[in-house]
Amino acid sequence: MLELFAQSETAQFGQFLLLGLVLGSLYALIALGYTMVYGIIELINFAHGDLFMLGSFLALQLSAWWLRYVVGDANSAGAVIGLLFVMLLVTPLACAALNVATDRVIYKPLRSSPKLTVIVSAIGVSFIFMNVGLFWMGATPVKFPDLIPDTNLTPDTGVVVTWKDVMVIGVTIPAMIALTLFVKFTSLGKAMRATAQNPTAAQLMGINVDRVIAVTFAIGGALAGVASVVYGLYIKAVEYQMGFQNGLYAFTAAVLGGIGNIPGAVLGGLVIGVVGELGKAYVGAKWSEALIFGILILVLLFRPTGLLGARIREKV
Amino acid sequence: MDRRKFLSVAGGGVGAVAAGGLLLTSGCGKKENVLKIASSLPRTGSAQGQTDTIVNGIKMAIDDYNGEIAGMKIHHQDMDDATAAQGQWDAGKEADNAREAANDKDVMVFIGPYNSGAAKVSMPLLNEAGLLQISPAATWPGLTKKVPGLDNGEPDIYRKSGKITFCRVCPTDDTQGPLTAEFVAKVLKAKTVYILDDKELYGAGIAGLFHKKCDELGIKVLGHENIVPKQSNYQATIRGIMPLKPDVLYLGATSQSGAPQIAIDMKGLGLNCPLVVPDGCYEKAFIDGAGADTFKTLTCYATIGSKDPSQLTSGPGGDFVKKYKEKYKNDPEAYALYGYEAAKVFLEAVKKVGTKDRAALLKTVLETKDFDKGVLGKWSFNNDGDTTLQDLTISKIVDGKFSPVPRS
Amino acid sequence: MTSLRSWVPALFALLAIYPFLPFAEANRGEQFTILFIYAILALGLNVVIGYTGLLHLGIAAFFGIGAYTVGILTVPFFPFQQSFLVAAIAATLLAAFVGVVTTAPILRLRGDYLALVTLGFGLITLYAIRNLDAITEGTKGLNPIEAGPIPGVAEDVDLSSLKVNSEWGVRWYKYPYLYFLALGTLGMVMVFLRNLERSRLGRAWIALREDELAASCMGLNPARLKLSAIAIGAGLAGLAGAFYAMALRTTGNPQGYDFTLSMIMVCCVILGGLGNRPGVLLGVFLLMGFDRIATNMLDNLIQEQIGTGGSNYLKVSGWKLSIFGMVLILMMRFRPAGLLPEKRVACELSEGVGERGEETVNTKPGTG
Repeated sequence: MLELFAQSETAQFGQFLLLGLVLGSLYALIALGYTMVYGIIELINFAHGDLFMLGSFLALQLSAWWLRYVVGDANSAGAVIGLLFVMLLVTPLACAALNVATDRVIYKPLRSSPKLTVIVSAIGVSFIFMNVGLFWMGATPVKFPDLIPDTNLTPDTGVVVTWKDVMVIGVTIPAMIALTLFVKFTSLGKAMRATAQNPTAAQLMGINVDRVIAVTFAIGGALAGVASVVYGLYIKAVEYQMGFQNGLYAFTAAVLGGIGNIPGAVLGGLVIGVVGELGKAYVGAKWSEALIFGILILVLLFRPTGLLGARIREKV
Repeated sequence: MDRRKFLSVAGGGVGAVAAGGLLLTSGCGKKENVLKIASSLPRTGSAQGQTDTIVNGIKMAIDDYNGEIAGMKIHHQDMDDATAAQGQWDAGKEADNAREAANDKDVMVFIGPYNSGAAKVSMPLLNEAGLLQISPAATWPGLTKKVPGLDNGEPDIYRKSGKITFCRVCPTDDTQGPLTAEFVAKVLKAKTVYILDDKELYGAGIAGLFHKKCDELGIKVLGHENIVPKQSNYQATIRGIMPLKPDVLYLGATSQSGAPQIAIDMKGLGLNCPLVVPDGCYEKAFIDGAGADTFKTLTCYATIGSKDPSQLTSGPGGDFVKKYKEKYKNDPEAYALYGYEAAKVFLEAVKKVGTKDRAALLKTVLETKDFDKGVLGKWSFNNDGDTTLQDLTISKIVDGKFSPVPRS
Repeated sequence: MTSLRSWVPALFALLAIYPFLPFAEANRGEQFTILFIYAILALGLNVVIGYTGLLHLGIAAFFGIGAYTVGILTVPFFPFQQSFLVAAIAATLLAAFVGVVTTAPILRLRGDYLALVTLGFGLITLYAIRNLDAITEGTKGLNPIEAGPIPGVAEDVDLSSLKVNSEWGVRWYKYPYLYFLALGTLGMVMVFLRNLERSRLGRAWIALREDELAASCMGLNPARLKLSAIAIGAGLAGLAGAFYAMALRTTGNPQGYDFTLSMIMVCCVILGGLGNRPGVLLGVFLLMGFDRIATNMLDNLIQEQIGTGGSNYLKVSGWKLSIFGMVLILMMRFRPAGLLPEKRVACELSEGVGERGEETVNTKPGTG
């Protein structure tokens, strides 16, 4: 009896851990957008979370159109896969385009201004995005189509792993690997690292800094787009304020890992996801957010530049 | 140079608009004999569906008199006590509205607020001004009477002038909570229950009253936890409940404070016990937020004081529902009835008094006895300003609609 | 510059006589009172961000601490029942104390890390208020707050004889004099900060903001200077919170002290002119005035004239976020130093601060 209890206790813990990791990898995807932009132009892009929100609204809109104009019935597996494909293709592209456009129109003229000026502009952009979201889907939470089954894939282990968990991991991990490879090995990636280290020197070496910045915003936006689709499918409801909440977590993740540092952002996201969910389970839901920030402050007290910030000097 | 020019032009424009606004607001108002009904409800945010229906109800009541009583034009001022940034009611905004209404000599009644928490803010202000306040939806008992076991000075702290100025046409939570518990015990035959609440005045209040009654009825309460509204998901909380296998999950929350997501996560994780929610979720926004599909597998009961519009098929109630559908091309939500009833009881008093006299109107409304001009049936205000109509309807969500079920 | 200098006293004089004008509405005065309170809050934030250059994203927490201190010390169901004077002083001191205690350990953090920690501190404070039901009543808010003004004076003194004009209030909380008290306090804060700016401490702050290394080489103690700025800034925020609770007569929902408020306050300060008192005042009056007064007025006006039928598109409040956003973006684009820039900041901007941003990047920890 006691043994059974202990076993289920462990399984329960595993379950919370899995939940934390899944949510954490979502935060990580969003955090990457923060951290890359910060690495290049030292801007805390407060609008990033709201870009993520708009992405999920677009995905929702796409699914509505898909059901109305293309297939008419979501039940067939082919229709669902087709819709997923469309969402995962269109949403990141749209988010990337929007992010680049925002940079062009709003942040670019402010490159030589003090940091606070740009941050305030970003807050302004975030307000406008929120207003767009408010008009688009209204203020009530909206149900996101439940496309991925909740079937338990591991019935014998006691830990429930569903297709949804597989999907999140299956999308986020490859995205992160692709990003790492891109930054490490392509010439554009090298240009990004160079620009992050020293923009003036990079420019002198013939790197087109404006292009590098545009690419950074594009990648950050695309990752937020991917995250928004995956989030919608996983959480199953979206609302216009979700950008604020999740953006805050992601920003925290980026700082926790050492802002400007790619692996740091991923690590930070995972830590926040796990701490938050374990906190909800074992400390109580009402304290979980305070716990996240408490841990953040503790970490920064002992490592003032984040978990990975000091050791790895390279940014982006 | 052109920057400076731009700024001066922009600045001038803003100044002109502001000045124009000031002039206009101070300029108009004394044209004709206007009697204003002010309402203060969360018009932005997720409660909007529900408040739209209340406002429609108020407008229909005014239309019953063709907008004019005793030579006075009846004007409805629709104030918003929510901010877009928060998506729900805001204390500062509610206080602003109360003051605005108290200060406007034409306003004779303040209909609202929707949330009990907001009522705590506006009640003392309006009480001081001696302005009648009728709430169509604030259900926390402490607003009008002493709650047993709670010693925080309610309700006298809201009545500094010593007079009662607040009344409500909706039944209170001390009816709703216990009757729900009886339903859970008798009809759902539950032996164990788990309780969640959102920690707000309303949600925690009603969950507490439910909890107490469960203890009395011998239903075992396996746990009572708080959730944090606006969290992205409640999977950890639901997972924590699952091993306890409760017969019923009771959730004291509103569609704005996370209730739809709880339903989604219950279905997603396979916690298959019935979910019971109070009247804060008795609205279409709750079903839309959780998705009608969710309730195909998840049994969900929602409770509300008095009647569901679908139960009103004959008499004045039936007429109302029919007229509402014709006018707004939409089914009325449950709170439309209260909006209508609140405005109606006031307008009848205006008819009786015939002048713009706050004190007389206040007295007349509070002395309302055996009122049957509305749609809810015959009722009176008791000495606390509560309606004598303390009823409860319990509905099951079927095919995306609330359909009433027998209570015993 | 001289013209700018004289408009502030003129504005205060105008506001002081406003209630005596025949067309003055008490309602307007109550809304102005809230603006004065936010102005005190913004001036406090300005001490931290404007004078010493610390980006603090959690100022609303001190505002909340102030409001709740007043709530706890005055509401009927706690045994303290203090007067407003005592409660406001306690609120100021407590907020300043909390400010120092929470900032001291994190001073060694670099700019943006510090910003995030202050943000986190703000959130933790909010959750503490929310969850410590026993002393804060959770989300219900402490009310009603209706303390007497000074010790020994009962709260419900009949002040009808003090009516300013026919419209303006009868009792203590219904103004007339919370309006004057808030306005007077704001005026005193302005004068206090002006003197502070010119004092040894104020000049040391500016030196620190301009170049921390050089300042510390000159014998200034950066840590002590920053802490004194936080103490004053947080104290002012606490004072503002005390007035806020008094004006609302409740602490309201803890949500009212969340990150959004901190963010909007940062916007007010930067929009008005970082480091410049009259600028900050103007920033608050414009942004918060638009938020709290103009939107409502315009909404009611549109409703009376056209009738909106509840459509969000026809309401100014529906577009409020966009209008806010556009104003911030345009201002930063065309007037990056704010409406009324501080002289020194304006000079820096025209010299090109691009270099400066980079410098901070490259001079960070010498360990690398």
